Amino acid sequence: MKRFYLCIAVTLIATVVAVAFVPGVDDLVEQMFQRYLGRAAR
Amino acid sequence: MELVKRTTTILLCLLLIPITAIVTASVKQRFADGPNRVFSGGPLRSGELHRGSEPDWSFVENVSTIELQLLEPPQSRRIWTAELHGKLYVWSSYMDTTVGRLWKRWPVQAERDGRAILRIDGKRYERQLVRIKSGEILDDISNAIRSKYNSRTTRTTVEAGDDWVFEAAPRN
Repeated sequence: MKRFYLCIAVTLIATVVAVAFVPGVDDLVEQMFQRYLGRAAR
Repeated sequence: MELVKRTTTILLCLLLIPITAIVTASVKQRFADGPNRVFSGGPLRSGELHRGSEPDWSFVENVSTIELQLLEPPQSRRIWTAELHGKLYVWSSYMDTTVGRLWKRWPVQAERDGRAILRIDGKRYERQLVRIKSGEILDDISNAIRSKYNSRTTRTTVEAGDDWVFEAAPRN
Protein backbone atom coordinates (compact mmCIF):
# COMPACT_ATOMS: atom_id res chain seq x y z
CA MET A 1 0.00 0.00 0.00
CA LYS A 2 2.90 2.34 0.60
CA ARG A 3 3.65 2.50 -3.09
CA PHE A 4 0.00 3.12 -3.84
CA TYR A 5 -0.16 6.06 -1.44
CA LEU A 6 3.01 7.48 -2.95
CA CYS A 7 1.56 7.08 -6.40
CA ILE A 8 -1.65 8.86 -5.35
CA ALA A 9 0.36 11.69 -3.74
CA VAL A 10 2.38 12.20 -6.92
CA THR A 11 -0.80 12.08 -9.03
CA LEU A 12 -2.47 14.68 -6.81
CA ILE A 13 0.50 17.04 -7.10
CA ALA A 14 0.61 16.50 -10.87
CA THR A 15 -3.13 17.22 -11.03
CA VAL A 16 -2.77 20.50 -9.14
CA VAL A 17 0.15 21.59 -11.33
CA ALA A 18 -1.62 20.59 -14.55
CA VAL A 19 -4.89 22.35 -13.67
CA ALA A 20 -3.12 25.43 -12.36
CA PHE A 21 -0.54 25.92 -15.07
CA VAL A 22 -1.30 23.94 -18.25
CA PRO A 23 -3.53 26.05 -20.52
CA GLY A 24 -6.93 24.51 -21.19
CA VAL A 25 -6.84 21.87 -18.44
CA ASP A 26 -8.81 24.01 -16.00
CA ASP A 27 -11.45 24.61 -18.67
CA LEU A 28 -11.66 20.89 -19.38
CA VAL A 29 -12.17 20.15 -15.68
CA GLU A 30 -14.84 22.84 -15.43
CA GLN A 31 -16.59 21.53 -18.53
CA MET A 32 -16.80 17.99 -17.08
CA PHE A 33 -17.93 19.34 -13.72
CA GLN A 34 -20.61 21.43 -15.43
CA ARG A 35 -22.05 18.32 -17.07
CA TYR A 36 -22.16 16.48 -13.76
CA LEU A 37 -23.62 19.47 -11.92
CA GLY A 38 -26.32 20.03 -14.54
CA ARG A 39 -27.49 16.42 -14.18
CA ALA A 40 -27.32 16.47 -10.39
CA ALA A 41 -29.28 19.69 -10.05
CA ARG A 42 -32.27 18.39 -12.04
CA MET B 1 -13.13 -7.36 6.23
CA GLU B 2 -9.58 -6.36 5.41
CA LEU B 3 -10.39 -6.56 1.71
CA VAL B 4 -13.39 -4.26 2.08
CA LYS B 5 -11.34 -1.76 4.07
CA ARG B 6 -8.56 -1.81 1.51
CA THR B 7 -10.95 -1.46 -1.43
CA THR B 8 -12.69 1.49 0.23
CA THR B 9 -9.35 3.17 0.89
CA ILE B 10 -8.28 2.72 -2.72
CA LEU B 11 -11.59 4.07 -4.04
CA LEU B 12 -11.44 7.09 -1.74
CA CYS B 13 -7.87 7.79 -2.80
CA LEU B 14 -8.84 7.57 -6.47
CA LEU B 15 -11.82 9.86 -5.83
CA LEU B 16 -9.39 12.42 -4.46
CA ILE B 17 -7.95 12.94 -7.96
CA PRO B 18 -11.07 14.47 -9.60
CA ILE B 19 -11.90 16.32 -6.38
CA THR B 20 -8.42 17.86 -6.38
CA ALA B 21 -8.80 18.84 -10.03
CA ILE B 22 -12.18 20.48 -9.37
CA VAL B 23 -11.01 22.33 -6.25
CA THR B 24 -7.86 23.56 -8.02
CA ALA B 25 -9.82 24.80 -11.05
CA SER B 26 -12.34 26.48 -8.76
CA VAL B 27 -9.68 28.25 -6.70
CA LYS B 28 -7.81 29.31 -9.83
CA GLN B 29 -10.98 30.86 -11.26
CA ARG B 30 -11.50 32.93 -8.10
CA PHE B 31 -8.39 34.94 -9.02
CA ALA B 32 -9.46 35.49 -12.62
CA ASP B 33 -11.10 38.59 -14.07
CA GLY B 34 -14.56 37.08 -14.32
CA PRO B 35 -16.05 33.60 -14.50
CA ASN B 36 -15.52 30.89 -17.06
CA ARG B 37 -18.32 28.30 -16.95
CA VAL B 38 -19.71 27.26 -13.56
CA PHE B 39 -17.01 28.31 -11.13
CA SER B 40 -17.28 31.77 -9.67
CA GLY B 41 -14.69 34.21 -10.90
CA GLY B 42 -13.11 37.19 -9.25
CA PRO B 43 -14.33 40.78 -9.55
CA LEU B 44 -14.96 42.12 -13.05
CA ARG B 45 -12.01 44.44 -13.50
CA SER B 46 -11.60 44.97 -17.22
CA GLY B 47 -14.01 46.67 -19.58
CA GLU B 48 -15.27 50.21 -19.95
CA LEU B 49 -17.77 51.24 -17.27
CA HIS B 50 -21.01 52.51 -18.79
CA ARG B 51 -21.92 56.08 -17.86
CA GLY B 52 -24.91 58.13 -18.87
CA SER B 53 -28.42 57.27 -19.93
CA GLU B 54 -30.10 53.90 -19.69
CA PRO B 55 -28.90 51.64 -22.52
CA ASP B 56 -31.22 50.07 -25.08
CA TRP B 57 -31.09 46.53 -23.72
CA SER B 58 -32.62 45.00 -26.85
CA PHE B 59 -29.08 44.07 -27.95
CA VAL B 60 -28.95 41.29 -25.32
CA GLU B 61 -31.30 39.31 -27.55
CA ASN B 62 -28.14 38.27 -29.40
CA VAL B 63 -26.09 37.68 -26.23
CA SER B 64 -26.35 34.16 -24.82
CA THR B 65 -24.69 34.74 -21.44
CA ILE B 66 -23.49 37.71 -19.42
CA GLU B 67 -21.14 38.06 -16.48
CA LEU B 68 -22.65 39.10 -13.17
CA GLN B 69 -20.71 40.28 -10.14
CA LEU B 70 -22.19 41.19 -6.81
CA LEU B 71 -20.43 43.85 -4.78
CA GLU B 72 -20.84 41.70 -1.69
CA PRO B 73 -19.32 39.14 -2.00
CA PRO B 74 -17.18 40.36 -4.92
CA GLN B 75 -17.45 37.21 -7.00
CA SER B 76 -18.71 36.81 -10.53
CA ARG B 77 -20.58 34.14 -12.43
CA ARG B 78 -21.94 33.56 -15.92
CA ILE B 79 -25.72 33.71 -16.26
CA TRP B 80 -28.54 33.96 -18.77
CA THR B 81 -30.36 37.21 -19.40
CA ALA B 82 -33.41 38.52 -21.22
CA GLU B 83 -34.82 41.90 -22.10
CA LEU B 84 -38.47 42.88 -21.90
CA HIS B 85 -40.00 46.30 -22.54
CA GLY B 86 -36.65 48.06 -22.11
CA LYS B 87 -35.80 46.31 -18.84
CA LEU B 88 -33.13 43.71 -18.22
CA TYR B 89 -33.79 40.50 -16.28
CA VAL B 90 -31.59 37.77 -14.85
CA TRP B 91 -32.67 34.61 -13.07
CA SER B 92 -31.57 31.43 -11.43
CA SER B 93 -33.16 28.02 -11.81
CA TYR B 94 -32.86 24.86 -9.71
CA MET B 95 -33.53 26.90 -6.55
CA ASP B 96 -35.85 24.17 -5.32
CA THR B 97 -33.17 21.47 -5.26
CA THR B 98 -30.48 20.95 -2.64
CA VAL B 99 -27.72 20.82 -5.25
CA GLY B 100 -29.13 23.95 -6.87
CA ARG B 101 -29.17 25.85 -3.59
CA LEU B 102 -25.59 24.80 -2.87
CA TRP B 103 -24.47 25.60 -6.41
CA LYS B 104 -26.30 28.88 -6.82
CA ARG B 105 -25.75 31.02 -3.79
CA TRP B 106 -25.73 34.32 -5.64
CA PRO B 107 -29.54 34.74 -5.69
CA VAL B 108 -29.67 34.61 -1.88
CA GLN B 109 -26.72 37.00 -1.69
CA ALA B 110 -28.34 39.30 -4.26
CA GLU B 111 -31.55 39.41 -2.29
CA ARG B 112 -29.49 40.57 0.71
CA ASP B 113 -27.48 43.15 -1.22
CA GLY B 114 -28.52 43.67 -4.82
CA ARG B 115 -25.68 45.96 -5.89
CA ALA B 116 -24.16 44.33 -8.94
CA ILE B 117 -21.95 44.86 -11.94
CA LEU B 118 -22.82 43.25 -15.25
CA ARG B 119 -20.31 42.79 -18.03
CA ILE B 120 -21.88 42.39 -21.43
CA ASP B 121 -19.78 42.22 -24.57
CA GLY B 122 -16.82 43.55 -22.59
CA LYS B 123 -18.65 46.60 -21.20
CA ARG B 124 -19.54 46.93 -17.52
CA TYR B 125 -22.84 48.22 -16.16
CA GLU B 126 -23.63 49.10 -12.54
CA ARG B 127 -27.03 47.71 -11.61
CA GLN B 128 -29.29 46.95 -8.68
CA LEU B 129 -30.83 43.48 -8.62
CA VAL B 130 -34.44 43.56 -7.47
CA ARG B 131 -36.17 40.22 -6.98
CA ILE B 132 -39.62 39.75 -8.53
CA LYS B 133 -41.55 37.14 -6.60
CA SER B 134 -45.03 37.45 -8.03
CA GLY B 135 -47.28 39.36 -10.39
CA GLU B 136 -48.56 39.33 -13.93
CA ILE B 137 -45.27 40.66 -15.24
CA LEU B 138 -43.83 37.19 -14.60
CA ASP B 139 -45.97 35.80 -17.43
CA ASP B 140 -44.29 38.15 -19.88
CA ILE B 141 -40.81 37.64 -18.40
CA SER B 142 -41.22 33.86 -18.53
CA ASN B 143 -42.32 34.07 -22.15
CA ALA B 144 -39.27 36.18 -22.95
CA ILE B 145 -37.02 33.64 -21.19
CA ARG B 146 -38.57 30.63 -22.94
CA SER B 147 -38.47 32.29 -26.35
CA LYS B 148 -34.74 32.88 -25.95
CA TYR B 149 -33.64 29.74 -24.10
CA ASN B 150 -34.67 26.13 -23.69
CA SER B 151 -36.11 26.83 -20.26
CA ARG B 152 -39.01 25.55 -18.14
CA THR B 153 -39.42 28.86 -16.32
CA THR B 154 -43.04 29.91 -15.90
CA ARG B 155 -44.86 32.33 -13.63
CA THR B 156 -45.87 29.32 -11.51
CA THR B 157 -42.28 28.09 -11.02
CA VAL B 158 -41.14 31.59 -10.10
CA GLU B 159 -43.97 32.14 -7.63
CA ALA B 160 -43.26 28.71 -6.15
CA GLY B 161 -39.64 29.74 -5.58
CA ASP B 162 -38.19 27.17 -8.00
CA ASP B 163 -36.81 29.96 -10.19
CA TRP B 164 -35.67 33.30 -8.83
CA VAL B 165 -36.07 36.26 -11.17
CA PHE B 166 -34.41 39.64 -10.72
CA GLU B 167 -34.73 42.89 -12.57
CA ALA B 168 -31.32 44.40 -13.18
CA ALA B 169 -32.54 47.90 -12.44
CA PRO B 170 -30.50 51.11 -12.63
CA ARG B 171 -28.49 51.77 -9.49
CA ASN B 172 -29.26 55.09 -7.83
